[in-house]
Amino acid sequence: MATIQETETTVLGACPHDCPDTCSMLVKVKDGRVTGVQGNPDHPFTHGRLCAKTNHYEERVYHPERLLYPMRRSGPKGSGQFTRIGWQEALDTIAARWKSIIAESGAQAILPYSYLGHEGLLNGLTVGDPFFNKLGATVSERTFCDSGACTAYIMTVGPTPGMDPESLAHSKFILLWACNMLSTNAHLWPFVAEAQRNGAKVVVIDPFRTRSAQLADQHIRIRPGTDTALALALMHVIIRDGLVDRSYVADYTVGFDELVEHVKPNTPAWAEAHTGVPAAVIETLAKEYAQSQPSAIRIGVGIERSAGGGQLVRALSCLPALVGAWRKPGGGILQLPLWAFPMNWPGLQRADLLPPGTRVLNQWELGRALTGALELDPPIRSLFVYNSNPLIVAPDQARMRTGLAREDLFTVVSEHFVTDTARYADILLPAATQVEQDDLMFSWGHLYLTLNRKAIEPEGESVSNAELFRRLARVMGFDDPFFFRSDEQMMRESMDWANPALAGITLESLAGKGYARLNLPPADQFAPHANGGFPTPSGKVELKSSIAAGGNFVLPVFRQGSNEFQDGSPAALLPTWIPPREAPKSNPALAQRFPLSMLSPKSHSFLNSEYANLARQVEREGPQHVLVNPADAASRRITEGMPVMVENARGAFRAVARITEDIMPGVVLAPLGYWAYRSAGEATPAALNPTAYADLGRAPTFSDNLVELRAAP
Amino acid sequence: MTHVVTSNCTGCRFTECVTVCPVECFHGDAERLYIDPGLCIDCGACIPLCPVKAIYDLVDVPAAQREWIAINAERAAPLPVMRAKQAALPDAEAQRVALGFA
Ligand code: SF4
Ligand code: SF4
Ligand code: SF4
Repeated sequence: MATIQETETTVLGACPHDCPDTCSMLVKVKDGRVTGVQGNPDHPFTHGRLCAKTNHYEERVYHPERLLYPMRRSGPKGSGQFTRIGWQEALDTIAARWKSIIAESGAQAILPYSYLGHEGLLNGLTVGDPFFNKLGATVSERTFCDSGACTAYIMTVGPTPGMDPESLAHSKFILLWACNMLSTNAHLWPFVAEAQRNGAKVVVIDPFRTRSAQLADQHIRIRPGTDTALALALMHVIIRDGLVDRSYVADYTVGFDELVEHVKPNTPAWAEAHTGVPAAVIETLAKEYAQSQPSAIRIGVGIERSAGGGQLVRALSCLPALVGAWRKPGGGILQLPLWAFPMNWPGLQRADLLPPGTRVLNQWELGRALTGALELDPPIRSLFVYNSNPLIVAPDQARMRTGLAREDLFTVVSEHFVTDTARYADILLPAATQVEQDDLMFSWGHLYLTLNRKAIEPEGESVSNAELFRRLARVMGFDDPFFFRSDEQMMRESMDWANPALAGITLESLAGKGYARLNLPPADQFAPHANGGFPTPSGKVELKSSIAAGGNFVLPVFRQGSNEFQDGSPAALLPTWIPPREAPKSNPALAQRFPLSMLSPKSHSFLNSEYANLARQVEREGPQHVLVNPADAASRRITEGMPVMVENARGAFRAVARITEDIMPGVVLAPLGYWAYRSAGEATPAALNPTAYADLGRAPTFSDNLVELRAAP
Repeated sequence: MTHVVTSNCTGCRFTECVTVCPVECFHGDAERLYIDPGLCIDCGACIPLCPVKAIYDLVDVPAAQREWIAINAERAAPLPVMRAKQAALPDAEAQRVALGFA
C-alpha cells in the first residue's frame, strides 16, 4: 500500500447510498480536503472495494456545479435561473409562505417528498418525518422500493432477517431471481462465487443477460411480469414429485394441504405458456432446487414491479419451507436482512405527533396531485423535496413537469446539485455530502452497523439533513427540545441498544473500528429458522397467510409511521398468479400498438439519478441508450447506434439503439438515471412508466410497461 | 467499461492485485496481466494494491498508455484466469526500483 504521508489522515466513513452493500469507506484527508476514498480492507463485507459509483466520491464533493449556497428562483419555473441568498432569508421565506398556507388552507396543503437519497439513521429515510408529522402536512407514502416485497414477505415469514447474506457461501444451490448482483449488490458476489467454487450451482432468472447471468451456471430468460407462473410451477413439481421436506412442512408451516390443491393446475406446461421457459427446464430447476440443500433464493428489489409482483414474492417466500431449506446456514430466502437491526422506528418517525385523520398520498400520485387531476381538498400548495429527484425517478413525468411549473406552487428542494426537479424550485437549499457529516448506517444487505464520521467541514453553506430540519423547526416556532437534539443524541435514540442484537456494541466502540457485526451467530451457524420460530401470527411459515386476510397494506415505516388510510384491497390468502397488465398475452389490443415490454433498471455506474451528471460515470455508461434484440431491431429497420424514440401512450424519450442478444426478443431495456435537461430530449424512461400499483404494498409496476420503438426523426 | 493494466506490469507481475478482484477478471501470460473488460465491474479495488501503479480506471489511462486499452481487451479472455497470488518474476523487485516505486 502507498505510504501515508504525515499530513494525510484517514477518517472512517460509510457509503450513504441506497444500496444493500453499505460499504465501510476510508476517507483520506489532507489539509482539510478529501484526497480520495477507498473501501475498508478490514471490513468482512466491503473487502477493500467500493464501486463504479463511489470510487471517486471526492469528485462529487468538489464538483464545480455543486450547490453550495441557498438560492432563490430568478427566472421562470424550470429555467434553472437562481440567485444566491443567505440561509436566514431562505428560512424566513419558507416560514412565511408555510404559515400563510397553513392559515388559509391547513397544513395538509404542504406535501413532503423524499425517499432514500440518503440511507443514514440521521440523514436518511426518516429525517424529516417528525417535523412534517408535527406540522400536520400530508403524509407521503413512499413505496419506491421493496414495499411490495416487504408486505409479501411479512405476510409469509414475518419480519425476519432470515438469512445472513454471507451464509450464501455455504449454499449448495443459489437462485438469483431478478437480481443483477454485480451491478446492484456487488459485494455479495464473492460469497456466491465461493459457493460456486465449492460446487454450488448458480442460476439467474432474468429477461436480460446481466453481468451476473454471464458468470452463472445457468441463465433462464423469462418474459417480464410472468415469474409467479414459474414459481407456482416449481411448487407444483416439488409437491407432485414428493420433493417436499415433509417433517419441516408438518412442523413449521400452515396451509400446506390447501396449497397442494391450489397449485395443481400450475403445471410446467401451463407455466411455459406464460413465461416462455420450457417445461423441461422448469422440471429440472424444481428438482435441483429441492434436492440441493441448503438452497438459497436471492431476490432483487425490482422483482415486485409488475401487476402481480407481491404474489410473486409470496410464492418465493413459501418455497424454502417446502424443501426444508431453512434447516441449514445457507438455506432460505434473502430479502432484507434489515429486519435484524433493532431500530427505534417510533422514535425515528414520531407518528404520535401526527394529527389523527391526516391524509396520506402515495408518491406515484405526485403528477396528478399537482395538476388537479386528483381531487384534493385542500390542493397541494407547497412541495418540499429532499433525498429524492422525482422528475427523473417517479412515473408520470410529463404531468409532473406541468405540475411543478405551476406559478402558485411553492417548491423547496434540498440537494447536492441542481437536478431536473431542483430546476423547478422556488428556494434551493444546499445539502452536505457524506464526508461533511456524521451518521449511523444500518444495512439492508449485511449484518454490520457502520458509523460514518465527518471528515471535513461542509463546503460552502451546505448542511446535513439533520441540521436542515433543526433550522426548519426553529423558524416554524417548534419548542419541543426533541427537534433540537444533537447528532449524537439522535444516534443514541435511533436504536434499541438494550436489544440482544446490539449487545457489546456502543457508539464509543463503533468509533474505534467504524463498524460492528450485530451480535448474531456467525454466517456458518446462522440458521434462525432451523426449528421454525417465524415472527408471524402462527409462529410458522404461512403458506396460507392470516395477515393477507386483513387486506393489502404498506408498512408504516414507508409512510412516516402512519397506519391510517391503508389500501385495504383484498389479497389472496394463497400465492396466486396475477398476469401482467401490459403484455401481449394479457392485453393484445395494447400490444398491437406497443408490442415491446420495457425494463428500466439502475445503470451500473449511477444510483438511480445520482452520478448521472458526473463526467466519469457518464463517460462509462455513454448516452441514454436502449437495448434491443436483433430480431426486434431488424423488423423495425433499426441499426446499431441509430437514434430512436421509445414511446407509449404516456410519453416518449430519445435514446441510442444498442442491438444485442443479451436482451430477449420482445423486450427492450433502457437504464434509468439520465438527467433530462442534460440529455437529448425533455423526457427519460420514467416518462413511459405506469403509475398503477402492484398488487401488494403499492409497489410500482415499472416493469409492466408496453412500448414501441421507431427511428428518431 | 473497465480498468486497464498498463506497461508497468510487464516483467513484474507481483499479482497483489488479483486476490481482491471480486469477478476474477485478471488473466495472465508469462510476463504480465490483463483485465477482461467484459467482466470488470469497475470496483477499483485492485488499483491501490499494485506496487507499481500499473492499473487505471479506463477514464484515467494516461495518453501515452492508451494502447493498453485495446491490448487488454484482445489478450485477456483467451489467457488463463489468475486468482491466487503468484511468485513475482525474478527481476520484479529490481524493476520496481527502476520504475521509481522503491
Ligand atoms: S453504492 Fe453500494 S457498492 Fe457502492 S460504495 Fe456504496 S454501498 Fe458500496
Ligand atoms: S500488482 Fe500491478 S504489476 Fe503486479 S501483477 Fe498486478 S497489475 Fe501487474
Ligand atoms: S476494478 Fe475491480 S473488477 Fe475490475 S479488475 Fe480491478 S478488482 Fe477486478
